[in-house]
Amino acid sequence: MNGLLIAMILALLIPIYEAYQDEDIWQTMLAFASIATKTAMMILAISVVRDDWMIGMVGVLILSLGNASLMLLAHILRRMNLEEGRSYD
Amino acid sequence: MCWPIVLVGKDSMTEDFYLIAMTALLPLTAGLLVSQINPYHALVIRGILGAISALIYALFGAADVALTEALVGTMLSITLYAVAVRSSMSMRLGVLEETPDADGSSIGIKKRRELAPLLANLNPVLTKYHMRVELLTYPDQAALTNALMEKEIHGTHGLSESLQIRIQRLHDIIQAELPTLGSTYIDVDRVKQQDKTV
Amino acid sequence: MINIASHVCFTVGIIFWFWGTFPLVGNRSVLFKLHSLSVSDTLGSMVLLVGLWLKLPQEWPLLLLALISLAIWNTVLGYVLAYCSSGEGQHD
Repeated sequence: MNGLLIAMILALLIPIYEAYQDEDIWQTMLAFASIATKTAMMILAISVVRDDWMIGMVGVLILSLGNASLMLLAHILRRMNLEEGRSYD
Repeated sequence: MCWPIVLVGKDSMTEDFYLIAMTALLPLTAGLLVSQINPYHALVIRGILGAISALIYALFGAADVALTEALVGTMLSITLYAVAVRSSMSMRLGVLEETPDADGSSIGIKKRRELAPLLANLNPVLTKYHMRVELLTYPDQAALTNALMEKEIHGTHGLSESLQIRIQRLHDIIQAELPTLGSTYIDVDRVKQQDKTV
Repeated sequence: MINIASHVCFTVGIIFWFWGTFPLVGNRSVLFKLHSLSVSDTLGSMVLLVGLWLKLPQEWPLLLLALISLAIWNTVLGYVLAYCSSGEGQHD
């Protein structure tokens, strides 16, 4: 179980590095999506290790709500990019 | 290190290790966040920081704090900040509405054609400072001047030969990057004061 | 027996995770990265959830909920991200 968590941390480091080095906002959003899923999965794994129902509940909520917030943010960014493109011509 | 052992309840070296490794992610992402220059990138990385801090709160058994961080810290504040950054990082430029041509070309096309060179110059410079141009049209010169004096807009185009800007910093940027465009700085408060005394 | 099965699930899930996440680094297009991320990341997470289920069967409603929300939301999110990132050029 501990090995699983350490492997998860290592997998989490890849999108963090990607978010740091990439200039394109959509690539950063992809990294964010990856991190949101991975942290929720880690919370669920921790809840199983501890046998804690409450933490597991929080993990499930974060898993579904984090995705919803990502969609909201993606739509706002898209609106912004459209406006920028419009003022160019 | 006695606190993780107390929290976890088992005293093994590997548990300590993953606890410390996960906690070390928090200052790492916080450092990434403050090193960002582009405000939108900073927003997305704030979301990443929120996700990781929720993980750490859950790790230390604070389920309610983790849930609040995910809902308020990540979802609500990111969305609100995105809207705030989007509306504040823009230069509102007032332009005159043109009368239609004799050949009947519509207003929008004519205005766009006249403003195209200006926007082509202005847009790359402002994009460098993560800003954008927002055009507002006014029917005549009086309305345009009034809007500038009432601080509805940041600058005007069409009142004189050059751009009139009422923000010192914006004027400095345009003067430094686009000396050929020509911009004049107008201290709106001082002009108002003079009008009052006269 | 169940312990071994859950460990196999963990290993497969972690392999899927790395497989899906490694293309993120590099100069490929957003859609290529999104594809690898949505397929093998979601699949890896689901396999990990099955492994957790085998490990702790009394938490099954929670893990089932997580499995369903993962399957639905990640698919929808993939579509939304692809739509938002590729719709920049068009004016509607």
